[in-house]
Amino acid sequence: MLISVAWLRELVAIDAEPAAIAKALTSRGLTVDAVTDTGGDTVLDVDVPANRPDALGHRGIAREVAAAFGRRLHPPRSVPRATGAHVEKEIDVVVDDPSLCGRYTARIVRGVTVGPSPEAVVSRLAACGLRSINNVVDISNLVMLELGQPVHFFDLARLSGRTIRVRSAAKGDRLTTLDGVRHDLEPGMVVIADGSGPIALGGVMGGASTEILPETKDVLIEAAWFSPSAVRRTARGLGIATDASHRFERGCDPEAPPAAQDLACHWLSELAGGRTAPGTIDRRPHPAKPPRLTVRLARVAALLGYRPDPAEAVATLAALELAPSRVGDSIAITVPPWRVDLQREADLVEEIGRSLGYDRVPAALPSTAPRGSASPPPPIEDAARERLAARGFHEAINYAMVGAGEDDRFVPPGAPAPVPLDNPISASLSVLRRSLLPGLVRFADQNARRGVPELRLFEVGRIFLGREPGAFPEERLRAGFVWVGAATPPHWSAPPRPADPYDAAGLVEDVLALSAVRGWRRERAVLAALHPGQSIAWRDAEGRPIAWCGALHPAIAGSLAFSAPPLVGEIDLSALGADLRGPVTASPIGNLPAASRDLSLVLDRTTEAGAVVEALARVPSPAPATFAWIDRYEGPGLAAGEVSMTLRVILQPRERTLLDAETESYRQALIAALSAVEGARLRRTEA
Amino acid sequence: MQDRLEALERAFRDALREAADVPAAVEAVRVRFLGKKGELTAILKSVGALQAALRPAAGAAINAARDRLEAALAEAAGSARRTEEAAALGSSAIDVSLPPRTFPHGALHPVTRTRLELESIFRSMGFTVEIGPEVEDDRHNFEALNIPVGHPARDATDTFYLPGGLLLRTHTSPVQIRTMEALAPPIRMICPGRVYRKDLDATHLPMFHQLEALVVDEGISLADLKGTCAAVWSRFFGAEVAIRLRPGYFPFVEPGCEFDVSCRVCDGKGCRVCKGTGWIELGGAGMVHPAVFEAVGIDPERYTGFAFGLGIDRIAMMRHAIEDLRLLVEGDVRFLEQFAC
Repeated sequence: MLISVAWLRELVAIDAEPAAIAKALTSRGLTVDAVTDTGGDTVLDVDVPANRPDALGHRGIAREVAAAFGRRLHPPRSVPRATGAHVEKEIDVVVDDPSLCGRYTARIVRGVTVGPSPEAVVSRLAACGLRSINNVVDISNLVMLELGQPVHFFDLARLSGRTIRVRSAAKGDRLTTLDGVRHDLEPGMVVIADGSGPIALGGVMGGASTEILPETKDVLIEAAWFSPSAVRRTARGLGIATDASHRFERGCDPEAPPAAQDLACHWLSELAGGRTAPGTIDRRPHPAKPPRLTVRLARVAALLGYRPDPAEAVATLAALELAPSRVGDSIAITVPPWRVDLQREADLVEEIGRSLGYDRVPAALPSTAPRGSASPPPPIEDAARERLAARGFHEAINYAMVGAGEDDRFVPPGAPAPVPLDNPISASLSVLRRSLLPGLVRFADQNARRGVPELRLFEVGRIFLGREPGAFPEERLRAGFVWVGAATPPHWSAPPRPADPYDAAGLVEDVLALSAVRGWRRERAVLAALHPGQSIAWRDAEGRPIAWCGALHPAIAGSLAFSAPPLVGEIDLSALGADLRGPVTASPIGNLPAASRDLSLVLDRTTEAGAVVEALARVPSPAPATFAWIDRYEGPGLAAGEVSMTLRVILQPRERTLLDAETESYRQALIAALSAVEGARLRRTEA
Repeated sequence: MQDRLEALERAFRDALREAADVPAAVEAVRVRFLGKKGELTAILKSVGALQAALRPAAGAAINAARDRLEAALAEAAGSARRTEEAAALGSSAIDVSLPPRTFPHGALHPVTRTRLELESIFRSMGFTVEIGPEVEDDRHNFEALNIPVGHPARDATDTFYLPGGLLLRTHTSPVQIRTMEALAPPIRMICPGRVYRKDLDATHLPMFHQLEALVVDEGISLADLKGTCAAVWSRFFGAEVAIRLRPGYFPFVEPGCEFDVSCRVCDGKGCRVCKGTGWIELGGAGMVHPAVFEAVGIDPERYTGFAFGLGIDRIAMMRHAIEDLRLLVEGDVRFLEQFAC
C-alpha cells in the first residue's frame, strides 16, 4: 500500500519527518519497505499484513501514526448541504441475500460535470500508484484510498427501473465489466442488479452498462459491506483481482459505508460541482453489536515474558481507540468495527506487546526437558550423503517434480502412474518424480554441454508413488548417483580407466553396508533405462528390491552430450530400514595359520561365477572358508565362449591347525562339487 | 724394522686413499696388507730372524701397526658401504615436483551443510529433529494452522495442488502439527525439510528448504524465543549476536513477529549484506496461536509455546556468499565442487 505523507498530515496533526513515521510504523508491524521522495510529497510503501485491512487506507495508517506519536485524528471532512429530491424518491435497494451483503448504502449526487481532475488529485493518485481517469471516477478512488472503503459510482440515468437488488448470480446471468470483459456468472457470485439484470459484481467491479461517461450528470453512490468469502468466491471464480476485492476479502469496516458516502459527496461537490440529494438508503439486515474482549494482565506477562505496568497497558490500548477499562486483574475493551483481527485475548496481548515494543522483551532460555521424538529422520539419510561425498560425489538438489513421461523408463514395469500436479508451474515440472535418476541424468547432460565432461553427482531425496486417488502417495527416500568418466581421478602415471558397472556396483554396496540389512543378493536388473546386459539389481533376503545400477541404456545416453557411457544407480534407502548398522561384536582373531588353495576353472560365458561359489560354499569345510576370484582371462588358448577364472579358497581354522590331509580332502570335495555345476570345469589345480 | 713399518703404513694409507669408497677395492687393500700373504704378515714372519732381545719390541710395534691398519680398514669399509647404499637409493629417487595421485573429493550441498550445522546446534540444546511428508493434506498445511478456507493467507502461499485435495506442503509447519498430535508437552523440536510454492523468479524457487523450531511447555514466553534465537545464532555465527523482534503477521502465531539478527559482517554498522540496516532478517516467529493448540488438543490455558521458522537456502547463501539462488538447484559441478571437503 502506497501512502502519501502529505495526505497523512491532512488526517492527523503530525509533523514528524517521513523517516520517523516510517520507523514508527515498521516497529508497530506495518513494515515500510521503501520511503520515496516524489518532489513535494513523500511516499511510504507499507507492507500491510493480511489481518490488517483497516490499514489499507490513509485514515487507518493515520490512526497507527496517531497512536505511535500520541496524537488524535482530525474530524472527518465536511458534508455538503443536501438539496433536491430525497434519494428514496428515486430508487429503492433490496438485499435479497444477506449472506452476501451485510450492509448496502446508496446516495445520489446530481448535476456533476465530468472532466479532468485537478493536478493535485492527479499527482496524489499517481503517488499512490493509480492513474487519473476523470474527476468523478477519481473521487471513488480517493475515497477508497482515504478510508479503505471501496465505493462504486453508477450513472443514475443509465439504470433500468427503480430498484437495485443485491443477490446471488443466477444460472445464465452475464455481465460485461468496466474493463470490457464479458463474464458468465455462476450461482454464489455477488451480483448488483437493476431491472435489466446484473449491472455490477458486488465488491469486485462495476459493469460497463452503468459506468460513468463524459455526459453523466447524476451519480448513484454505492458504499457497502460485502461478505469476504462471497467476494473471494466471485473474484476467484472470474479470475479478477481489484483494489476493491482485495479490501473486501480481508474484511472492511461495517460502519464505514456512511462515512464513505459523506466523503464521496464532499468531493463530488468540491471537484465536480455535484449537488448532494437528501437522505441515505441504508439496508443492514443484521446489525452486529461491537464485540467485547478481556485480557488478563497475567496472560500478558505469560506470553510476553515481562509484566508491563497496568496503567501503561491501558494507555496503549486507549491510543488504539479500544476504549479500555481496568476490571480487577484484567482489562476489558470494545473492539472497534475496523479491527477485524481482534478476536481473542492473545490478539490484545499482541496489541500491548507491539505498542510497547518487543525490545522490552528480555532474553531467557526455556527449561523444558528434552524428550523422545515423534518422527525422527532416518539416520541413513545423512549417512548416505556423507559416504557418497566421501567417495568423490557432489551432492545436487533437484526439484521433486519432473515432466510427464520423463521418469517412465526409470521405474520398473507395473509401477504406479506418476502423481500429477493440478496446477503445475510448467510442463517440465508437472508430475511428482518416481526416481531420482532422470534429474541426475539431466544434470549430467547439462554439465557436459557446459564443458564438464566427467562428473560424479548424487542426490538424496524423496520419490512419490501414487496410491488410490485422494490417498497420500507413498514417499520413499532414495539415494541416486550418476557417474561419467574415469574410475579414478586422472593421473600422469597411467591412462584413465573408464568407470564400469562394477565400479557403480561397488558404490551401491558401499551405501548398502551402512544399513543393518544383510544377506542381499545381486541379479540382473530389469529397468528400461539401463543397459540390459550391464546392469545389476539387489534384493534383500526377503526378495524385495533395494537397489539397482548400471550403464545407462545406449538409447538414452546416445541422445545426450556424453563423452563416455554414463553409469547410474539408485538405492531405496526406505527399504533399508530405519537403523544403521549397529555396534560391531568383535570376533576372536586367533593365531592359527590359514590354508589357501587356488582352483583354476574354465567357465562358459553364460555361467555366472556366483553360481560356482554358491555350489562350492555348500561343501562342508574343515574350517571356515572364504572364496575370492583373483583372476579372469578370455582370449587365445581358450575356446570361443569360454572364460578362465581363478578362485582362491582360504580356510581359516579357529581351534587347531589343519592337517594337510584335511585340506587336500576338502579340495577334492570342491572339485567333485564342481562337476555338478553346469558350464564349469577344472582347468588345473595349484598347491 | 721401524723404517720398514713406517714405509708399509705409508703405502697402506696411499692404497686406502686410492681405493676410495669402493667396497671391493677396500677389501683388496685388506688382503694386500693383512692377508695370509700380506705385507704386514711378511714383516711379522721376519721377526724370527731378529736377535732375541729385539723381538719383543718389534712384535709390539708390528701389533700396534696391525691395530691401526685394521681400524682404518673397518672405517673405510663402513664408509664404502654407506656410499654404495646412498648411491643405490639416489638412483631410485622420484621427481618430487610431479603432482601426486589424488583421491576424489565429493561435496555436500551447501544447503545440506547449513542444515547439518543448524541441526547439530539445536540437538545440543535438547531439540529433537522431526520430519513429515512432503505431500500434505489441507488440515495439516492450513486448517490446523489457523488458516481456514478463504483466509487471505492462503493467497500468499501459492500452493501446488494434487488430485484428491492433497497438496505439496508450503512450509514445514505441518510437521509441528503432526508432532503436537503425536506427543504431549513438553515439546522441543525442529523440523527441517523441503517445501514447495508456485513461484519462480530471480529470488524464488518452486522448491526450497525451511527449518522451524517449536517449544511447548508451561511457562514458555517470547523471552524464551528471544533467548533461544540468540543462543542458536550466536553459535551459528561464532560470536555473540543481538536478536531483534519486530511485529509481524502469521496466522499460526499470536503475538507474531519477524526476527532479525545483528549483522556479523559489519557488527551492526550497516553494510551490503544487511542492506545498510545493521540487521539481517531471518524469518518469522511468535507464540503458538491458541487456535493451533485447540486444533491439536493441547490446552492453551495450561501450555504456551513459541515457534520460529527460516529459509535454509537463504542462510546458506549468506554463509557462502552465493549470489544467485538458482545455482542451488542447477546441479552445476563447477558450483558444487567448491564445497568439497
